Amino acid sequence: MNIHEYQAKKILQQYGIRIPKGGVAYTPNEAKKTAARASARGPWMLKAQIQSGARQKGYFLEKEAGARGGIRQIKNRRDILRNAEQMLGATLVTVQTGPAGKTVGRLYVEEFKKIERIFYAGIAIDRVHSALVLLVAAIKNEDITNIAFNHPERILKLNLDLEGDTRPEQVREVMDFLKLPPKSARSLETFINGMHRAFIDYDATMIEVNPVGLMKNGELVALDAKISFDDNALFRHKDIRALQDDYEASERELQAAKYKFNYSEFGGSIGCIVNGDGLALAVMDTLRVKGLDTACFLNVKGGVDKDKIASGIKIIMTNPRVEGILINILGGFLRCNLIADGIIAAASEVGLNVPLVVRFEGTNKEEAKEILAKSKLPIILAESMEEAAAKLAEAMEEAD
Amino acid sequence: MSIFVNAQTKVLCQGITGTQATFHIRRSLDYGTQVVAGVTPGKGGGMHLGLPVFNTVKEAKKETGVNASVMYVPAPYVKSAVKEAVDAGLELVVCIADGVPIKDMLEINHMLAGSKTKLIGPNTPGIITPGEARLGIFPENIHKPGCIGVVSRSSTLTYEAVLETSKAGFGQSTVLGLGDDMLIGVDFVESLKRFHEDDQTKAIVVLGRLGGTFEEVAAQYYKSLEHKKPVIAFVAGNAIPFGHKMGYAGDVITKGSISTQDKKDIMEEAGMIVVDNINDIHKELAGLA
Repeated sequence: MNIHEYQAKKILQQYGIRIPKGGVAYTPNEAKKTAARASARGPWMLKAQIQSGARQKGYFLEKEAGARGGIRQIKNRRDILRNAEQMLGATLVTVQTGPAGKTVGRLYVEEFKKIERIFYAGIAIDRVHSALVLLVAAIKNEDITNIAFNHPERILKLNLDLEGDTRPEQVREVMDFLKLPPKSARSLETFINGMHRAFIDYDATMIEVNPVGLMKNGELVALDAKISFDDNALFRHKDIRALQDDYEASERELQAAKYKFNYSEFGGSIGCIVNGDGLALAVMDTLRVKGLDTACFLNVKGGVDKDKIASGIKIIMTNPRVEGILINILGGFLRCNLIADGIIAAASEVGLNVPLVVRFEGTNKEEAKEILAKSKLPIILAESMEEAAAKLAEAMEEAD
Repeated sequence: MSIFVNAQTKVLCQGITGTQATFHIRRSLDYGTQVVAGVTPGKGGGMHLGLPVFNTVKEAKKETGVNASVMYVPAPYVKSAVKEAVDAGLELVVCIADGVPIKDMLEINHMLAGSKTKLIGPNTPGIITPGEARLGIFPENIHKPGCIGVVSRSSTLTYEAVLETSKAGFGQSTVLGLGDDMLIGVDFVESLKRFHEDDQTKAIVVLGRLGGTFEEVAAQYYKSLEHKKPVIAFVAGNAIPFGHKMGYAGDVITKGSISTQDKKDIMEEAGMIVVDNINDIHKELAGLA
């Protein structure tokens, strides 16, 4: 689960990390008032709160929102209201949002901080070594992923302990690597320990402060912040769960989440229902070989209830982008006959208007095939994943 | 021969009185697996499925001599269940549950590093040595004893790979799912090492997937081997666009991330036979005969 910049900053602030003075605004008037509280004379920063990186380089779909991006420095007080009006309710498109963009429902308004230079600081998980890694790099106006790809040596990576603070010698190593002035020592220690503790305390999967600003007096300030949390650990963080912004998820994602099914959307026209994420990946790969691209997939792994499965299948069947459906179930834990019952229940409720190919394997496969045959629905059966993709491609050509 | 489990493995079930455990342990017993005891805290002293139930893993080990455990305990309790198994000195723990918090897994792997216990999973269908032992939820009817080792980082795709070996006319020495989660216990390297030490295994099928660099590390290990058994590999996830939420953003920054295609290239370069379509595995296997 992700949260907004202002929420992430608030969490880091609890750990003593310095953030610019500011507040969240849902209306242009609130923006104006918040700006006055954040700084008497400005300049101010107006920042669109959508959960995406590269907001500054993004653009708004609506002409009325002006030519500037999702992060704006405002020098004159009288421009705050106009810019807030432009941004609120408008659709911001970034390299991460996809062409549809995301609607800006709230702004973060803060004082502009004058800084000497910036750097990147993050904590992530090294999956192969099962370790927490602190990452820092001096940056200018560059994308950190490009640095990671092209100049990994420019990123300092230090394994952090799972308990306690960051070791003092590690903090010193960061000091040296970033060539920070001695007067920054204490501020850096607070900063790194703050990120480290927040990561552990809140079951984060990633924290990024990009950028950290170094001020003239040696203090460090978090100019942006991003925290992702482990969905599987939200049961012990009710306060974090409450921060979930439903506007960030599509209606279908929310429905699927209700049944604890994983649902993902892509740009194509095929709806896939599978049991297993890896299986989903393989089905998408196989479809692509046949010239078909996936619109969405639903992973019903763990489904044990016919009604829930039917509700899940309906999410796919009622997606207007879906022009063909492929269901590939390898029964183990999940029994194929449950899926067959679910397909029929869903189809009888919402109708089956596109070609549907089903491939069953494993637990109760024969029983499941019999259930489908008895239903008299125009369902195409296949024996392998490849055959299923081929038959779907064929059926869609005929349907055209 | 086989890897990790065989007919001699004395299996304990942690969480044996639960519904899923009951369903699957019964099937494992029918399959001939030597399940000899169960643990459910608070239910010690009773019997379940004809097996003695103990309160703790230590007791169960002392009384029955178990050396491996399959656990069906819910995700929030996995950490303490694994700790019990480690403290009791079991050699193998298979964890089926999905949804284990990442922080718990970080702590579990830290704990395992200083022990003799190996963890398969979490979020895995388990491990099966056909005709000998089944720990987990694998559908038993698709497996038969043979000479192909199968190791997969994707639960359900494992079944697909097993079907491919059958199609080529082969059975399996051992089949194991490493788990679908972000952090796992036993990885490809450990599995490849054991399959290479196992006389029965003549060739290995490796199923990788998008995310992490487990496949890259496996390829480096394989490359370093002097005597290589043939490896046929598939990596799922070519059709996923870069930056999609199915990947982990942290991979990019910690490892400079590699795409599915990069993984395939690295594996091929290491000497593995890489297929673009999972249903081509049987053709490559047939070619080995």
